[in-house]
Amino acid sequence: MAQSSVIGSDTVVRGNVQGQGSLEILGRVEGDVDVTGDVVIGEAGAVLGSIDGAKISVHGAVQGDLRGKEAVLVERGGKVVGDLSAPRIGIAEGGLVRGHVRTDGEPAAAPVRRAAASPAVRSASASTGGGVGAFPPKPVAKVEPRPSPVATVSASVGATVSPGFADDDVPESESPTPRPKVEEREKPVGRRPPPPVLPSLGKGAKAKKKKDRDS
Amino acid sequence: MSGTVIGEGLSIEGELTSEEEVIIHGNVRGKVTSSDAVSIAAGGIVQADIAGHSVSIAGQVTGDVSAPDRVDIQAGGRLVGDVKASRFTIADGASFKGAVDMEV
Repeated sequence: MAQSSVIGSDTVVRGNVQGQGSLEILGRVEGDVDVTGDVVIGEAGAVLGSIDGAKISVHGAVQGDLRGKEAVLVERGGKVVGDLSAPRIGIAEGGLVRGHVRTDGEPAAAPVRRAAASPAVRSASASTGGGVGAFPPKPVAKVEPRPSPVATVSASVGATVSPGFADDDVPESESPTPRPKVEEREKPVGRRPPPPVLPSLGKGAKAKKKKDRDS
Repeated sequence: MSGTVIGEGLSIEGELTSEEEVIIHGNVRGKVTSSDAVSIAAGGIVQADIAGHSVSIAGQVTGDVSAPDRVDIQAGGRLVGDVKASRFTIADGASFKGAVDMEV
């Protein structure tokens, strides 16, 4: 049953290959490959189609998705244009991949988990403990970097907002000024003394005062 | 090299074209073409026309077989289809149904 199969280097298969046992592809397969055992694509091997197998190692070229029940390994010289999904994924130096990479087995289950994960993390904001408890260790390691940018973004938003409120005291004298101007003045106000604020006030006021005096 | 081996339990639906030896233990549906030898091992099931330099059948074949060199049906082998070859042997215990053209 577990007999291994070989598609030789001078062989072309046009059609689907499926079944039990392992498969070594040294030639060319134009079609989908679905086997229970390991799949090895040799250096001169090429596959135009998706590949399902236990452990898939690519030394040659593949244009299609790779789904490994155990692992997907793109070795040195291997080229893949397509998505990789397997519990373990390795891309060696010199291996080329263009596509999505997923280290969790079921492709359909992954998006659902993440959709559930991200709101929970946002609501919890910085409390990583809740996130760790909710998910298995591997996905968490992947997910964790995402919340941190989100947290920083929210923090930066908060930072921009809070100075605006703090500076309300200063612009109160000129209440009708539009919002963007207020934000521009935040920085000069911080330096102290704020040159644009006083002259703008002074110019009109002084002229009026002078006129009042002269008259 | 070692050529192409379709192992037991593996099935191909489509066309297999080769320039080296092809040994089939599994299932092939479609077409098999090789410029070298083609052997269908015992247990191999082929529903396809086969063209090879020489063809040896120990499994089950449904389809036409042609070979410039020779076609052999081994004991236990079974062929349903026409044969075109300059040399053709049917071993004792083999079964065969079809026409033979030995290019006379």
